[in-house]
Amino acid sequence: MERLPWLRRLFPFVLILALLAASQVMDNYLQYIVNLVLIYVIIGIGLNFLLGFAGQFAFAHAALMGIGAYTAALLTTRVGLSFWLALPLSGVVAAVIGAGAALPAMRMRRVYLALVTLAFAQLIIWVLINWNAVTLGTDGVDLRAPYLFGWRMRGDRNTFYIVLPVTVFLYWLARRVLESHVGRAFIAIRENEIVARSNGISVAWTKTLVFALSAFYAGIGGGLYALALGFIVPDSFGLGQLTLHFSIVVLGGMLSLYGAVIGAVVLTTLPEFLRDVQALQEIIYGLVLMVVILVMPQGIVGPLKRFGILPREVLARNWRRLERRG
Amino acid sequence: MVNLLTLLVAGLANGSLYALVALGLVLIYKTQDVVNFAHGEILMAGAFIGFSAYTFLHLPYGWSLVAAVLLGGLLGAVIERVAFRRVANQHHITLAMVTVGLSVLMKGLARIPFGRDINTYPPAFKADRVVLWGIPISPQHLLTIAMAASLAVALYLFFRFTALGKKMRATQQTIVGAQLVGINTGNVFASTWALAAMIGAAAGVLAAPLSLLYPDMGTNFLLKGFAAAVLGGFESVPGAIVGGFIVGVVEMLFGGFVSTVFQQVSAFFIIILVLFLKPDGLFGRRALARV
Repeated sequence: MERLPWLRRLFPFVLILALLAASQVMDNYLQYIVNLVLIYVIIGIGLNFLLGFAGQFAFAHAALMGIGAYTAALLTTRVGLSFWLALPLSGVVAAVIGAGAALPAMRMRRVYLALVTLAFAQLIIWVLINWNAVTLGTDGVDLRAPYLFGWRMRGDRNTFYIVLPVTVFLYWLARRVLESHVGRAFIAIRENEIVARSNGISVAWTKTLVFALSAFYAGIGGGLYALALGFIVPDSFGLGQLTLHFSIVVLGGMLSLYGAVIGAVVLTTLPEFLRDVQALQEIIYGLVLMVVILVMPQGIVGPLKRFGILPREVLARNWRRLERRG
Repeated sequence: MVNLLTLLVAGLANGSLYALVALGLVLIYKTQDVVNFAHGEILMAGAFIGFSAYTFLHLPYGWSLVAAVLLGGLLGAVIERVAFRRVANQHHITLAMVTVGLSVLMKGLARIPFGRDINTYPPAFKADRVVLWGIPISPQHLLTIAMAASLAVALYLFFRFTALGKKMRATQQTIVGAQLVGINTGNVFASTWALAAMIGAAAGVLAAPLSLLYPDMGTNFLLKGFAAAVLGGFESVPGAIVGGFIVGVVEMLFGGFVSTVFQQVSAFFIIILVLFLKPDGLFGRRALARV
């Protein structure tokens, strides 16, 4: 990343302070939307690792989010574990299962990988629905609210106090990873696996790492999602959810962490304006998605970067061409 | 035994629908490198066009099929011209997302007139079932299989002998090469989309009496068609057809002999299994890596 002017470097802190200040005056509904946006930032970053940076066309993200959500919910309600332990575990469980999805990625080209991961995702949802004894099937599960120093963290504002630090930490972590040699290895694999290999990058290891990392973000996002909603059903993690994840990444901008943030803000708030009419909601959603992509194929961050409003994020000499390439 | 044969025919009927969906996906993928996630909605649109022509305009069954196919083809060409021509050389994930947006949009549009209740499409024949060689068979199943088979033959002849078919094959091999020998690749793109959409619309009209008619009906067919196409190698037309039959038959046999709970995901089990053994599908060629 470029050295930023100090005013710009302050911007994240200003944003966090503004969100904290706003949470004191927001009503529950607005606070709930803000929580969802933050959760989808985490999920968008996770998918962006995989789809944008490492270029792996994998479709299991929504199901992995479901695994995270169910891990958190089942561990707190049915096992009685504290949420503070269940949340990291939901990330770890998702990461372990997600790393398994790296296995087909070693051998298969992109359409095949897409279908195998999609089939894998459908199987996970199917297990969530049919494994009644553990997941309670389509009845869904509750999540037991966490306690902090004896206080029961219930309600949207308390949820916000949990979601915000986690999001900030995971964003910072993502930035660190992408600026390290690991992040460059992701891009190398996306561009050309043979070149990556001849530069001493272990393709197998890097792929496993990126699948696990992406799934970890999905799992944590899922755990927080279960916390924000308080109640989850398997159907929430199907194709609709997957479409939302892909939309966030592509509409915001692949190869960009800002993109995940922008995509999450736009696509989480947009449907809330049109909650009542499903047909209208779908028409607007579909139109926005198509028009934005047709006008800005690099996502919303594309023009923002071109006009210098956002700094560049990828450490590569021809980074503009890299972002455009198919 | 009779039970097995009845299941087989039903499986082949469903399978030929999956094969038709897979054909549309494969054609578009071969020419433009786009995985068309809106293909299920093209099928849905075809079904609703046929349904409207049949119930509101009182056209005979055959003509409503023709209307669905022609309007479906027009829809495909318009989609290509308006949405895809200008972004054709962007990243393949970007292109896929355009089709996802299109899919959501088309579902929303269909929900306005048809979203209120689940419609049923009357079958082409009055008879519920005919008995052939001692096996009870639904005539709608037979019609579906026959239509799919004749469409496959027609497509083979089209690609083999007509000028447009040859131009399409040339463009599938290399776009720049096709342009160099004077082929208008823009036209080829539009006609490929039109052809794929026509096949999809025909599949929709055939599928509607077997499933139900509602705006979300395309999703299931898209998934199964996608599975069929991948099983066949995604770039092979005969592969798509064989893949469709495999998915349809396996699904029916699982439903009939194992359990209906497994039926929904049986196709996915098969896919994962096959692709782990043969990572390029049954008919796909191994991509050679040049070092």
